[in-house]
Amino acid sequence: MDDPFYNLKNSIKKDFAGLSFSEERKNAVKETIRRKQSHLELHYWKVETLKNILESLQDGAKHGYDISTQLFRKKELSFKSNEGQLYILLHLLENKKIITSNWIEDRKYYSLTTKGKKYVASWEYRGSKQCASLNYLIEEASL
Amino acid sequence: MADEKIAINVNNIENTEQIIGQLMDNYSDDVLHLVFSYVKNRTTAEDLTQEIFIKCYEKLGQFNHKSSIKTWLYRIAINHCKDYLRSWHYRKIKFSDKIWDHIPSKSKHVEEEIISRNVADSLTSAVMDLPVKYREVAFLHYYEELSLANISKITGVNRNTLKTRLKHARELLKNKMKKEV
Repeated sequence: MDDPFYNLKNSIKKDFAGLSFSEERKNAVKETIRRKQSHLELHYWKVETLKNILESLQDGAKHGYDISTQLFRKKELSFKSNEGQLYILLHLLENKKIITSNWIEDRKYYSLTTKGKKYVASWEYRGSKQCASLNYLIEEASL
Repeated sequence: MADEKIAINVNNIENTEQIIGQLMDNYSDDVLHLVFSYVKNRTTAEDLTQEIFIKCYEKLGQFNHKSSIKTWLYRIAINHCKDYLRSWHYRKIKFSDKIWDHIPSKSKHVEEEIISRNVADSLTSAVMDLPVKYREVAFLHYYEELSLANISKITGVNRNTLKTRLKHARELLKNKMKKEV
């Protein structure tokens, strides 16, 4: 009972009573998060990047690492030293039902959905000039 | 640590903003107090707490449910505080503080005055004066009422080391209180 810290809890409670994380501060955190979350929108990404990813899936399902090496070969450097971003984008494309994924033996394989295939086909048909509309198409279709 | 109200679904990235909002509603005052116990300055503590929750947002995908969300949050918070205390910026402030000590001035430090007003109780201020490694274990054990095993998990410090530090902290505090009487 001879513990000098015995009363510490009450003592600190009283002294720190005025120390509170304000709503203003909380909103500042939320604001920062919202800004960071803009990369969760497709229009944040370059059209070329989207195109490269979808094209890499054209010849069948691939897992993330495969996609990443194939992008690297295409000189797509958006994810260089930031591979986590690739998975964020893949997840986003999945949410928009442009790609889908399957777990096979502890690995997640991504493949194009019918919708995704349509996009790839449509911009190949229209040629690279129309490429800029890909983003728009994807946004529009997923509203 | 029974308050596990927050259902974390890490697969839902769009939901993270909401999760951080919940985390802040539940724990931001606790985190602020914790941070203050390290940095002893209100504005700095608020800035760091803000950064800590942003860090949580970035790391939420790595939360593995093996520990409670509060343990996870505290670990991030404490690492962030220690990084700050090691930082060049902080050392610079400390250095200029020391210079101020040698210059007689009436307005000394506004911040310090606020702290001493905040910390009216002599026990709190005695603990706040302890070196950080003793202050840390005293705060977590007596204020947060965490077990040494849990503190070990949060701080990464060996349990026996914590035990020794706590013992040492008690001795330091006793001596201090004796002197004051």
